[in-house]
Amino acid sequence: MSKIKHFIEQSWLLIAASFCFGLLIAVTDAALSPKIRENKATKLNQLTVFLLPEAKRFVELDAEIEVKLAGGKKERVKVYKALSDANECVGWSFNVSGQGFADKIELVVAVDKGFEKIAGFNVLTSNETPGFGDQIKSSNFRDQFVGAPAEKLTLVRTGDNRKIDSEIVSITGATVSSEAVVGIINTFLIQIKDHIQQKGLIGNGKG
Amino acid sequence: MAKDSEGKAGLYRRALLAGLWRENPTFRLLIGMCPPLAVTTAVKPALTMGISVIFVLVCSNLVTSLMRNLLKPHLRIIMFTLNIATFVTICDLYLRAYLPDMSEILGAYVPLIIVNCIIIFRAEVCASKCGPIVSILDAIGTGSGFTMALCILAGIREILAKGQFFGIQIMPGGFVPWLAMQMPVGAFVTLGLLLGLISAVTRKKEA
Repeated sequence: MSKIKHFIEQSWLLIAASFCFGLLIAVTDAALSPKIRENKATKLNQLTVFLLPEAKRFVELDAEIEVKLAGGKKERVKVYKALSDANECVGWSFNVSGQGFADKIELVVAVDKGFEKIAGFNVLTSNETPGFGDQIKSSNFRDQFVGAPAEKLTLVRTGDNRKIDSEIVSITGATVSSEAVVGIINTFLIQIKDHIQQKGLIGNGKG
Repeated sequence: MAKDSEGKAGLYRRALLAGLWRENPTFRLLIGMCPPLAVTTAVKPALTMGISVIFVLVCSNLVTSLMRNLLKPHLRIIMFTLNIATFVTICDLYLRAYLPDMSEILGAYVPLIIVNCIIIFRAEVCASKCGPIVSILDAIGTGSGFTMALCILAGIREILAKGQFFGIQIMPGGFVPWLAMQMPVGAFVTLGLLLGLISAVTRKKEA
């Protein structure tokens, strides 16, 4: 009994402060999260339009696509069909995420209408090391993906980063971040492509 | 009575002014050196970081000062950290909601304010020993001194690296940008030269 009393005497302020501070953060988060989500949606839209300039609007696929992650976990991904002014499909986009060096990396990936070539990717959120890992946002790295085949990509340490093929040259000093981006795209792209093919949305002149 | 009020006014004035120059955290005490080196590529992010630090300093000093008589000596560091982490999280959420571009540029450096030793230093040295008014004035003074240092560094680097100040072109057309000033080496060189200059001026004054 005396031990409990001693424990409470020593730590009541810490417990009370944790509760109050936690409540303060929860209230602030509840008040600001709609605005943060809205900002994220606007940014997602801007980044996707940048990758697929012909797209005028995006329609979310009704069917949810489940992707198997490393470790057996499954994640549902929203896939958007990009439509032109004439209502023709000009590509597909999806936002995907995975673990980077410092924190989770969220990407928006776009592919052409036949799911044959990658139209590019953009970074939605990342906390990679400034000056190193954050170079995944640089055009030098991202441009390697534009026009690359929509199949398994391989990360190489050295090579010509202007050559467009399935080999992606890693960023010097940021191998983990480069691996993370290639890994995320490989995990999601191939499985999403398979799902869309199975649903008959691409192939046979569709798309 | 008049002497007492004069004493208080003097105390308040000292608390407010000490951090601006005599105890400037960047130029005189050389503490909290991560943001001066990392976020001073341009004045806008430097100013945003400075204002964020002022907000966190004022809030954490105020709360620490209010609970100073309840603090147990062996729990004070964990209480300071909890307190600082709360206000940094609120600041980070606010930036993500209302200044998303700045939040993206500052990236991990806003959450890293939690481990900025200026804030825990002021909590330990001032707020845990003084009343709320002195603590708030001390936070405003120290935070303003830190912001001023960030803006001076960022101003020099922005002008030399881009020919701009606060995003406005100020250098003539023939100006050749010093790209090195945009890189980490630019931060180290600028800070080193400024510290040397300040040290030389101060010694001359003291002599």
